[in-house]
Amino acid sequence: MPTRGTGDYAAGMAREQRVYAVVSHPEVRVHVRDLGLACCAVEFASAIGRGLLVPAEPSTSGAAVLVVSGTVTDALAPEVIAAWEALPEPKAAVSFGACSNSGGPYWDSYSVTKGVDRVIPVSTYVPGCPPRPEALVDALVALVVPA
Amino acid sequence: MSEIPHQARGAIALDAAACTSCMLCVKECPDWCIHIESHNEEVSEPGARRPRSVAVLDSFTIDWGLCMYCGICVEVCPFDALHWVPEHDYPAPDAQGLRHGIARLEEFGPS
Ligand code: SF4
Ligand code: SF4
Ligand code: SF4
Repeated sequence: MPTRGTGDYAAGMAREQRVYAVVSHPEVRVHVRDLGLACCAVEFASAIGRGLLVPAEPSTSGAAVLVVSGTVTDALAPEVIAAWEALPEPKAAVSFGACSNSGGPYWDSYSVTKGVDRVIPVSTYVPGCPPRPEALVDALVALVVPA
Repeated sequence: MSEIPHQARGAIALDAAACTSCMLCVKECPDWCIHIESHNEEVSEPGARRPRSVAVLDSFTIDWGLCMYCGICVEVCPFDALHWVPEHDYPAPDAQGLRHGIARLEEFGPS
């Protein structure tokens, strides 16, 4: 079992940077670290399971993206900070779903962090409870390909 | 991109003309996502015994950063002013950007 609050658990989870090609935008490669904390993480898996994102060879350019999906609790917040700090620059964080956007359905809970942006800087907030896997792909593409 | 089912709960569109500012959605939303401001105006009609009081909607905001897409607001609205649309692609660069007012909610349009 991971030790609570040491930063080892989430940093370990996020250490593995995966590279995906975006099927709808074949030229786009995204370097993603997936920090799945609750039900929203299933939609990240679904984006891969449904073939919207496919594993690819790393490209030389491009920022690493930390995707925080699910409920951040105050107990887990140090792990999220550690995962963010473990990412090399350049980097960006995507808050995926209501829980990490604001606390979501648990915004009034004593134990839930009221948005992951209380502990790390967030570049894109994706709405949904959970958001669709397509919304993840759209947000990643928008982040990687400047409009 | 794969096709989004037409009944997908992507966003809730507002028909502001149908909204009577009755506040039912505001009260029933389990997450307190909806904020409404309105004022009353008196309308005097010729021959009426007394003026009527009519609520006028000033602002209607849904905070998608909080919303859990349960649909209770859509269900409780007695005037069909809220309805689901499959639109799902509206991330925001800051948390405030997930608060949509009347104009943006009307843009989602009829499904
Ligand atoms: S936003 Fe909804 S689906 Fe996502 S982790 Fe929170 S409760 Fe689960
Ligand atoms: S869908 Fe549910 S959570 Fe979202 S605004 Fe309507 S009642 Fe509130
Ligand atoms: S329940 Fe319907 S009519 Fe009443 S305030 Fe909400 S949207 Fe407007």
